[in-house]
Amino acid sequence: MHLFKHMKALLCALSLGTFTAIATMTPVVAESVLEDIQKRGSLRVGMATFVPWAMRDKEGNLIGFEIDVATKVAADMGVDVEFVPTAWSGIIPALIAKKFDVIIGGMSITPQRNLTVNFTQPYAHSGQQMAANIELTDGFSSLSDYNSSSVTISCRRGATPCNTASKMFPKATILRFDDDAQAFQEVVNGNAHATISSAPKPTFWSEGYPDKVHVANNGENLTRGDEAFAMRKGDADGLNFFSNWILVNTSNGWLKETHDYWFKDQSAWKDMVAVEQ
Amino acid sequence: MAKRPSAPAVPRKRLTVTDYTLFAGVIVLIFFSIYRVNDVLVYNWNWQRVLSFVVRFDPETGSYSANLLWYGLMTTVRLAFWATVLAAIIGLIVGYWRTCNNLTLRIISRGYVELIRNIPPLVFIFIFFFFISSQIFPALGFDNIDRESVLVDNVLFRIFFGDVRLFSNFLAGVLCLAMFEAAYIAEIVRAGIQSIGKDQWEAARAIGLSRFNVLRDVILPQAGRKILPPLAGQFITLIKDSSIVSLISIQELTFLATEVASSTTKVFETWILVGGMYFCICFGFAVLFGWLERRARRSFK
Repeated sequence: MHLFKHMKALLCALSLGTFTAIATMTPVVAESVLEDIQKRGSLRVGMATFVPWAMRDKEGNLIGFEIDVATKVAADMGVDVEFVPTAWSGIIPALIAKKFDVIIGGMSITPQRNLTVNFTQPYAHSGQQMAANIELTDGFSSLSDYNSSSVTISCRRGATPCNTASKMFPKATILRFDDDAQAFQEVVNGNAHATISSAPKPTFWSEGYPDKVHVANNGENLTRGDEAFAMRKGDADGLNFFSNWILVNTSNGWLKETHDYWFKDQSAWKDMVAVEQ
Repeated sequence: MAKRPSAPAVPRKRLTVTDYTLFAGVIVLIFFSIYRVNDVLVYNWNWQRVLSFVVRFDPETGSYSANLLWYGLMTTVRLAFWATVLAAIIGLIVGYWRTCNNLTLRIISRGYVELIRNIPPLVFIFIFFFFISSQIFPALGFDNIDRESVLVDNVLFRIFFGDVRLFSNFLAGVLCLAMFEAAYIAEIVRAGIQSIGKDQWEAARAIGLSRFNVLRDVILPQAGRKILPPLAGQFITLIKDSSIVSLISIQELTFLATEVASSTTKVFETWILVGGMYFCICFGFAVLFGWLERRARRSFK
């Protein structure tokens, strides 16, 4: 009986011990993600749905600029590509938790983000545009008119447009939404004066409601952004590989050509995503 | 002077004029709200576009095929199923521990229930998910399952767990949900066990039944009937709560709905449709539990 009791205690202690061992296990030698990718035979890419970076076509497949980029990266590495759609607000924690190897998700480089993750060279330079409700902003002549306490601006939370909004229009009320579509709907409904989002989404949106919404600032971008791949810290080899992949594909014009296809206008790919009459 | 209790009201079988007026009033109110919403909302409704994400008609082959939202629905059903099974098991054990004489077990179970019950589900799921997905799963090798292995590359696996590529993602969702709901189920189970008098324990023990047998043959059958209604409520809550795990990117109905909504910009159609889907599953469960309850009552007589 006594022996049994001791055994129980011993087993308890043992299981607790293994548990903490698992919890505190850290790799002894920092291995590059490149080796993991090659060993696994597939590149895991974290991304979030965001027109026209990544979106669903009629069949439910992923298409978009980012999808093309990630597919080519994987093809050049000689491995398969595997997309991991992730909620934008949790995408950096998910990268750190090793849910995927790299974020190719149109993520703009910001110093704050850079403290947690590493960025490659930029592979796209987009900016932010503002779509405004024509009726509500009637008489607004310059951007400074938006910086008023009676103005409401909507944006997607956790994304850089929200920072832009609070920086450029500190007096305005900022409404944060979980996704862009809701933020934009607020503008169409007249509950917000304007919404800020990555170009060219505001342009595409205003094409859907030409008599309700227009792109503010005469269609010019508010800011210029630099989008890059994001990786876990401490992996110089991986960072070098992806940065140079971007360098090569910038020099040979592939990135620009692909970017133009998705971003210039919707005509080339609109039929793939929409059945709107 | 004690008042004589009035005779119990005879249950009405027919609806009166008042009832019909009331129903008519509610319907008018609903239609008025829809009309008002349409009036205020500037929105191009396009149901076809969202419905094609449930079942898609392919004009080239002339056949119908399941699409994203359908897969999401199936994942939600699988998620709810496994989380229910797991939560019921954990809940039963922890709930029993709450009533045990063993102090250690009581401390553990109390700690578990109180910890989970007193933090918001979102916070728990977020932290727990990053813990299991960054520590436990890699250690167990769930992230690198051999996809060609016979164990996973078969029809049964696909029916019960879905796509192999999303298995670790799915499992994380099941674990988070089950751990969370089990705390509530444990409390229901504890209440059920404690509702059976101590004398029954003592009597059953006195005729020589082991603790396990008392629990299985005497206590749980009685407690089971009592806790069926709250348990049903908890399982339905579990299905609805499964939408929370969309925030940790489990590819279930709510997550895929956000994808569809942002790809098509048809926000309202998507969420109304998805709401309807959740309603169908939950109501189905409610009907099922209602039937179980009636059966349990009948067998008691």
